[in-house]
This record gives sequence, structure tokens and C-alpha cells, in this order.
Amino acid sequence: MPRSSSTATVRTGGAIGLLRQVAAHSEIALVVSLVVVIAVFSLASEYFLTVRNMTNVLGQASILLLIAAGVAVTLICGEVDISVGSIVAAVAIPLIAIMNVTESMTLGILGALALGLTIGAVNGYLVAYMRINALIVTLGTLFIVRGAVYLYTGKRAQADTAYLESFFALGNERLFGVLPYPALVAGVIVAALIWVMRHLRFGRRVYAVGGSAEVASLAGFDVRRIKFYCFLISATMATLGGILLASRLGAAVHTSGIGYEFQAVAAVVLGGVSLAGGIGSIFGVVLGVLILAFVANGLGMINAPTEWQQVITGLVIIAAVALDSLKKGRR
Amino acid sequence: MVEDLATPEAPQTGDTDAARPTLRVQGLTKRFPGVLALDDVSLEVRGGEVLALLGENGAGKSTLIKLLAGVYRPDGGTIETGGVERHFASPADGLAAGIKVVFQEIALIEEFTVAENIFLEDHLAGRFGRVAWDEIRRRAAEIFDRAGFDIDPEVKVKDLSISQQQLVEISRALAHEAKIVIMDEPTSSLTPAEVRHLFGVIERLKAMGIAIIYVSHKLEEIFEIADTCVVLRDGKWVSTRPTAEHDHASLIKDMVGREITDLFPRSDRPLGDTVVEVRGLSTATGLSDIDFDVRAGEVVGFFGLMGAGRTELAKAIVGYDPILSGEIRIAGTQLTPHDTRRGKALGIGLLSEDRKGEGLMLEASVTRNMTLAALDKFTARGFVDAAAERAQAQSFVDRFRIKLARLDQPIGTLSGGNQQKALLSRWLMFGLRTIVLDEPTRGIDVGAKAEIFALIDELAADGFAVILMTSEMPELLGLSDRIFVLSGGRITGSFDTETATQEAILDAAIK
Amino acid sequence: MAVSDTPPRPTLAQRIMASEHGFLALVLAVLIVVLTLSADRFLTPANAVAILHQSSLVLIVAVGMTFLLITAEVDISVGASLAFGSCVVMAVMNETNSILLGTLAGVGFGAAVGGINAVVTTVLRVNSLIGTIAMMMMLQGGVYLFTREAVQNHHQLPLFPKIATGYVLGIPVPAIIAAAVAAVGMVVLARMRAGRLALAVGANPSAARLSGYSPERIKAVAFVVTGALTGLAAVILTSLLNAGQPTAGTGFELTVIAAVLLGGTSLMGGRGTILGTILAVLILKVIDNGIIQMRWNQDLQIIIPGIVLILALYMDQRRRGGAGG
Repeated sequence: MPRSSSTATVRTGGAIGLLRQVAAHSEIALVVSLVVVIAVFSLASEYFLTVRNMTNVLGQASILLLIAAGVAVTLICGEVDISVGSIVAAVAIPLIAIMNVTESMTLGILGALALGLTIGAVNGYLVAYMRINALIVTLGTLFIVRGAVYLYTGKRAQADTAYLESFFALGNERLFGVLPYPALVAGVIVAALIWVMRHLRFGRRVYAVGGSAEVASLAGFDVRRIKFYCFLISATMATLGGILLASRLGAAVHTSGIGYEFQAVAAVVLGGVSLAGGIGSIFGVVLGVLILAFVANGLGMINAPTEWQQVITGLVIIAAVALDSLKKGRR
Repeated sequence: MVEDLATPEAPQTGDTDAARPTLRVQGLTKRFPGVLALDDVSLEVRGGEVLALLGENGAGKSTLIKLLAGVYRPDGGTIETGGVERHFASPADGLAAGIKVVFQEIALIEEFTVAENIFLEDHLAGRFGRVAWDEIRRRAAEIFDRAGFDIDPEVKVKDLSISQQQLVEISRALAHEAKIVIMDEPTSSLTPAEVRHLFGVIERLKAMGIAIIYVSHKLEEIFEIADTCVVLRDGKWVSTRPTAEHDHASLIKDMVGREITDLFPRSDRPLGDTVVEVRGLSTATGLSDIDFDVRAGEVVGFFGLMGAGRTELAKAIVGYDPILSGEIRIAGTQLTPHDTRRGKALGIGLLSEDRKGEGLMLEASVTRNMTLAALDKFTARGFVDAAAERAQAQSFVDRFRIKLARLDQPIGTLSGGNQQKALLSRWLMFGLRTIVLDEPTRGIDVGAKAEIFALIDELAADGFAVILMTSEMPELLGLSDRIFVLSGGRITGSFDTETATQEAILDAAIK
Repeated sequence: MAVSDTPPRPTLAQRIMASEHGFLALVLAVLIVVLTLSADRFLTPANAVAILHQSSLVLIVAVGMTFLLITAEVDISVGASLAFGSCVVMAVMNETNSILLGTLAGVGFGAAVGGINAVVTTVLRVNSLIGTIAMMMMLQGGVYLFTREAVQNHHQLPLFPKIATGYVLGIPVPAIIAAAVAAVGMVVLARMRAGRLALAVGANPSAARLSGYSPERIKAVAFVVTGALTGLAAVILTSLLNAGQPTAGTGFELTVIAAVLLGGTSLMGGRGTILGTILAVLILKVIDNGIIQMRWNQDLQIIIPGIVLILALYMDQRRRGGAGG
């Protein structure tokens, strides 16, 4: 190798260096994984790589995407919210009830947001101001909210009897007959969240609080308020997911969202967000959700029993986290 | 808040009244439950002056700094900057008033870039709180240019050395046009070359008209850079004098308030067999090709500056860390690396430098902390004999004069010195014969230090092989029979204590 | 950090509030008194037996989970493992016509799941919250690959259903098994070396390692024990349903963890007692039972534990002076 390029060699080290850089940037590794997943299933099934199927996957992934992005914000600020699955079920109740009475989708959505934000505020208050462990608080609200949903609905689905066209379209139709509206909604909102986390002072402060609450408070940030807001964000995202799901189902279903908290945490961690706080990006979470969604869809395409999806998801998560922590451990 | 930094050397003329101190502290007092941490302390510092703040552990230095930083609120007294009395509700207020503290624990977000950290407080955000990334990068580069720092503003802070991180902290002060920079033990983790560089930076800050409060207990440094010395003792002000009027003895006398004699007893230590043999030891933690022997009945001291490999060596030879190559024999038997159970069975154990992180079970009782290693001795068929355990713990409490109210009180409620004695008991109770002590007196007050020194001497006289890792020269010379010096993970010097000089040891340590 | 002077002698109420279990015992006592006064059928032998019966499954697994949380790890997969385990138990019994082999298969299955969790956590160094969530997903998917529907009883062993429904001296068999498990757990944690090491590893893993113990090994044992106890619970559940039920166990992990935390075990490790766990399980089950006795809506059965959990942690926080959690 010529002498003049020696500094460059130190930096990149040729192909191995490139690989190392790929491994160091989890987002690049995730994009590569996503491409590999898509390539493998494209070879396995001719129906996989079609516009119809691809857009279907985006539609299916949209609800989890919203929820996972919200959970990611709480993890980035050093906490966690596992009450999101219950929020998904709860917010559908005022949504449907208000629409049934007022025939207004706007009022319904406002009602849903009001409930979602209330739950988020309770979570945030207990964690940030009462300093109770977030896992326990949100485990508690997971129980309480789900129980309240059962209590209120008598464990019966609340049907949408307003039949608003716009509400039906929100969960079931496609823009120009191609892109499902849920994917569009989730895409726009998550893109906005990515921007907030990257380019707004608030987003940077969330990272700072998760990176070191002590440094953040030395810098004069109101750590408690920032954490509080993170729980509002997470509840809002779950609410939006709940609205889309209710539209798709045409009802407020009392059992909807069960287990979403675990899927969301799994996707978030796969997307490179650290449980320790302060590390990871919402864009990575998008990739994590998409990988899981494409794996699920691809397995369906090759007629594997759908349960394989859960098994493989579990394996992928363990592999991803193990690789990450072993890499760190060796340093 | 930040004006055009490109304007050269403006601050010098900024103050209309050159005689007015940049910072004036009067009668500052801070109480904690049961302790008067700071008692009526006053001082003044002017632009371009370096004021050294000295005192032993517990003298009140850190309390004073935290009051100036806005971390604590005073119970009495006033703080004035630029002639205006200030009341800080938070560190951000302190910075706004022109005071920037560079703490020992660097206060940066590791995952952020250098540039983002410099503008962490406000991100130079414009309307709607939008972060001005381009502006942040540009101004960071400008500050580095002006201060002459060679740091890439785009790298993450976690990829910088401690000394570079300090420069980033100082840059934060410049970015906020701070008039007072307080440095808390800034050289404690720097290499000698980095210390020289830091002193250059301090000279430059002086030239910019910035007032500097320099906290350190390293007297050589004080004589080199400080203009004025303020000494605190037990929370009280003791003296304020120009450095030129001080010498070593006068400073130490002000700090200690009494002369400490016979800190290091030395009993007759009969030499026994060789119990530790290390050959060609290299590790992933940075040690390379380490060779040494230790015999029963001697204290072998390892001296090294921060990052020289003391803790790494300590952890390798007790089997805590894996090794790359080489051999460790304890009492003639080969130690299995990365297996502390084996090391313990061979009779070698480590008293860690990190008491909280690697020694204490803070919420557990004193007894349970003391008997952790020796648990098997109190165990029959899986059951622990609590009465025997207590009796044994009590005997060590008596023997080492550990001050406590009850044996079952949480160990976290004891003082540092008593905690250390309890942890030492943990190993002695187990009955090992070779002990590695890593900075055994860190964070312990002078009185307890003397007791720990006496204990170490007693152990050697009893036929223990003692390996002492330390960065404190008096401790090294006072306790050791033989001395090895570590630098960059290698042994760079070996001495007999009788013939060793401080200069020769330091010389080897900076090789 | 100075040792305080002799404080004023605390009142009885203060001492109860401050003691580790006094508060839980007080809550339990108040619940029992209130329910006795307001529901006539609450304080009857039959109802007491029913409460013990319902507490058994949760308590058996909660004993293992207490050890696991004490070592600063957690296992979310116990619910899914319970369901899968029950299918395995019934399938093996159908195959072999042996209660013993079925039981061994159940316990062995649970222990194996615990073993995998242990490897994932201690060797692959995956955070146990994430690793066991992944394990839960795999077991939930896996059980349907194993069987599409409930595994019905095809064996001719009339004795088997009696394990769960039978009585010895008027006490339900599952309650006896749970009591035995809890008693062993209590002795191990309070009196034995193994319990002390679990506490030490949770309190400070580095200190434990420096003192010549292997944190990984101790954590692995806690995982396997939790898994094996889950397997034991699966055997009882199978006997109760007289079938292997792949949908059983949904939410079970959360109930178990809620009980252990309510019992005063720290999420951060190093602190916890079996007595606290027992009291907490009883509190949750007495509330459950009370809701039925009072003819309240049964959906309150998941609301009230949530409230109790948060309240308990809040009280704990207050007692400890607001630090940590």
C-alpha cells in the first residue's frame, strides 16, 4: 500500500474497516438487515416484492410504529412506558362513543387524545415528580386502565354506529389507491417526531436527560418536567395508534392492544435504543419495526405457520441485543 | 448571551474599575444535618489571577465550589460577581452570572458531539426552539481557534481523553463568556504532558482576563501556577497569602494545623517464602510483560500515575480480569485467570479502590459485609450459623476499633475509614495470606489513615504478603519494603525503599 | 453520614409502618376485618380454603421470582412457560400414562426454559427484561406450533386431577405444595449460604465476584429455580384444568411480578423477603376474593392490584426518605 494513503488506512482500514463502521452505526446495520430480509423473501416468494404487498406491510406496521416510537422516547429519556397497550384499548372508547353521539370525527379524536394525555400525565407525574420506578408505575396503569376498559365496556366491543366515511377511510383506504392511510398518518407523525428529537432543543434535552440526568440538571434543565413530557408523548403516540386500530376494526374492542407493550419494547431495542437511556434514534426504531413487519409478512408469504413469526422475532431480538452487548463488552 | 467571540482581548478592558474583584465571597456558611460544612468563609479573586484553594478532605473545598456553582444554596453570607450580589437557584444561574465550574467528574453528555456539549445549555436555539446546528459548529470551531485547542468539534465526547474533555468544559466557559473558571482537582487524572498543556491553557485564560480558582492538594502545582493561596480547614478559613510568601512547610502547616509524626510505623518484618510470582503478564486492559515476585512478610508497593495500570494489575493478579499471556503463581500454584474463586482458594484477594462500586453492600448490615468472603466458615450443610458469624464480626470490630452503634446497622452509615476497616476484615476473616490493596486510604481522613497504615504494617509483620497499589508518594515510601513503578502498563522502575528517591520514582513514572 | 444520637422511642404505629412486613400484615388484617364485616360468607372455612387455593399457583412462581429479583434479574416468560409447560405435561402423560413422568417433564421443561434464559442473560449478556420478553414471544409462538388446541386428557389416570382438587386434612393439595415451596424458600433466603449469596450478588455484583463468587452462576441458579417452579405450577394447573391449555398464563407474569414487588423486593436487587412475597400474594388474592364476595364487578380484579402496587411503592418511597426506588 502506498505511503501517502497511510492515514486513510488508519481511519478506514479497507473492507474490514468499512464493516467495522457498519457495525458501529447500528442504523446502517439495520438498513442492511432490512435489505437482506426483503431480498431473502423476494427470492422465496414471487408475491412478496410487489407494490401491493409492500404497501400492505407498511399499513400493518403503522400502528406498532406509532406506539414503538412513543415508547422509544421514554427509553431515550431513561425511563420506560409499558402501559401503551392498555392506552390503545382505552382511547377507542371515548373516540367511538363521542362519534356515535356527535357524528364528528374531530370531536371523537379530541376525546381520545384527552383520555390518552390524562393517562400519560398520571404516568409522568408518578414517575417524574413522585419518583416511583417507571416500570412499576406503568405496570400498574397497564392493569388499571385495562381493568377500567373491561369494567366500562362489560367486555363487549363498542361498535361504531356513526359510520363516518372519513373515519372508515382513515384505517382502511389508500391514498390514490396505493398507500394505506394508516401508513401515511404514521409516516408523517413519526417523521415529525424524528425531526423533533434531532432538531428541536426539547429533543436534544430528552437525550441529555437520558444520557446523564445529573449533567442535564447541572446545565439547568428541569429534568422532571422533561421526563413528564416524554410520558405525554408516549401516551399521545399510543392514542394515535389506538385511533387507527379502532378505525380498522370499526369498533372499540376491549382486548385490543394486549401485548403491544412487549412488541413495542422489542422493536425499539432491535432499533438500537439502549435500555440505559440517551442512546438510539427514532429512525432506528422505524427500521426495527419494519424488519419485524417484513419478517412476519414474508413468513406468511411462504406459508409458514404465523406463529413462526413470534419465534423468529424473539430470536432476532436476542441475537441483536447479544451482538450489541458482546461488542461493547469486549471493548 | 454570547457576543461576537471574534473580538480580540476585549474582557481586559471590560471592567471600568480594575481594582474591583471579579468575584467576592463574604461570610459564606453552609450547614448539613449535624455538620457545619462551611463556616463564615470569605475570599476575593480578580481577573487574570489564579487563586489556589487548598485543604484536606473535608476541609470544605467542595462545599464552597458547589455554593459558587449554584448546586447548593448558602445558609449565610453573600456571593458577588462584577459588583452585583447573586443568588443562584441552579447551576445555570451560576453560569449566567459568569461562574463556570469544571468538576472532577466531567459534566458532559458522552453521546453528544463536542460542539453540542459546548452549547448544551441553550443549543443556540432560535424561534420554536429549533437547534442552530450550523451556528453551533461554527462557534465551537471559533472558540477552539481562539483558545488554541486542537479538538474536532464533530467527534463524540465519549471518544475524547479526560484532558480533552476538560478543554471542552473550559470551552463551555468561554462560550458563555464566563469571568470566573473554577477547576476542581483538574490534574488528578492527567498525564504529566497533559498537565503541562493544561497549565498553558490556564496562562491563556489569565491573559484573557479570566479569574481562576484552582483546587488541588498537589503542592508542586500550586507553587507553579497560583498567585494566591487560600487555605481551609474543617470548614473554616485559615489563611490567605500570596504564593510567594509560602513554602511547603508553611502550606502543610496551614492545611493540617498540626504536625503529623510517625504516620508510618515499621515493625520488624521477617521475610518468608516467595508467595507471588508473576511472569510475562499481559492483558487486554493494557498491561504488558509484567514480572515480579513478592515474599511473605513484605510490603511491595506499586506506584503509578492515573492510567499507569495499577488497578488493572491488581485485578489481573487476583483473577478478576482475563489475561492475554503470562503466568501468575500463588504459593507455587498457578492461578486460573478470570476466576476469583480460584484466587481466593489460593489465598489472594483484593481490597478495591472503588469502595462503593466494588466493595460495599451499602444497605446490608456491617456483619454481613464483613463475613461475605468467609461465609463458608460459618456454613454447615448449607446453613449459615448466625451466632458464630456475629461473634466473629464482633471480634474484628474490637480488634480494629471499628466505630459503630450496632453490628446490624447498614454499612453505608459508617464513615469511610470504618468502612475500609470492615472490608479489610472481610478478607482477614477469610484467612488469606496475600492481600492486594488498591489505594487503601482513598477518601479517608488523616486519623483513620494512620490506623490503616498501622494495620498494614501489622499484617506484614504477621507474615502476610502485601501488594500495595498507590499514587500517594508518602504512603508508598512510608509502607513499602520494595517499590515498582508502573507507567503505560509496564514496569518502568524498581527500587529498594532505602535507596529510592522521590525524583527517581517520579522519573520512572513519567517514562 | 454520622451515626445519629439515640432517637426518640418510636410509637407502635411508627414501628409497624417502618418495619419490613408490619405494613403489609396490617393491610392484610384490615382487609380481612373489613371483608368479614361486609360479606357474611367471607370468613368461612370454605372461603379461606378457596383463597389458599387461588394463591397457590402465583405463590409457587413468586418464590422463584423473589430470588431472581433479589439477584437483580427478572423473568417475563413465566406466563408463557406456564402455558407451554401445561401442554407438555398433558402430552407426556397421554403418551406414557405416568403421573411421575408427566410431572418430571413439566418441571424439566420449566427448568430448561429457565436455563436458556440464564444463558441468554449471563453468557450472551442480554438484559433479562428484553431476553425474557423475547423468550415469552418464542414460547407463545412455539406452543401453537406444538399444539393447535388444548391438549385433552386421553390418559386413564383418575388420580391426576385430584392433585389440584384434592385435600389433605382439609387443606387443598396445591396450597400444601405452595406452602412447602415458600417454607423452603424462606429458609434458604434467611438461613442458608445460597440465599446470602443471592442477596450479595444483587447488592453488589463486583463485590461478590471479588469475594470469590461467580455472579453469573448464582444468577443462573435463580433463573433455573424460577423456571422449575414455573414447571411445577404448570403441573398443578394441568391437573386443575385436566388439560394442557396453550392460552393459559396470559398476564400471569405481571401478577407474579406485581406480588413480588408489593412484597418489598427491590427491582434493583439485593433486598427482599419471602414473607413479604407471601403477604403480598395473600393481599392480592384476598382482594380478588373480596371482589367476588362483595358481588362487585370482577373486572376490578385487575384494577385494584394496579392501584395497590403503585400505592405500595409510593409508601415505600416515603418510608425510605425519597431516595432511589
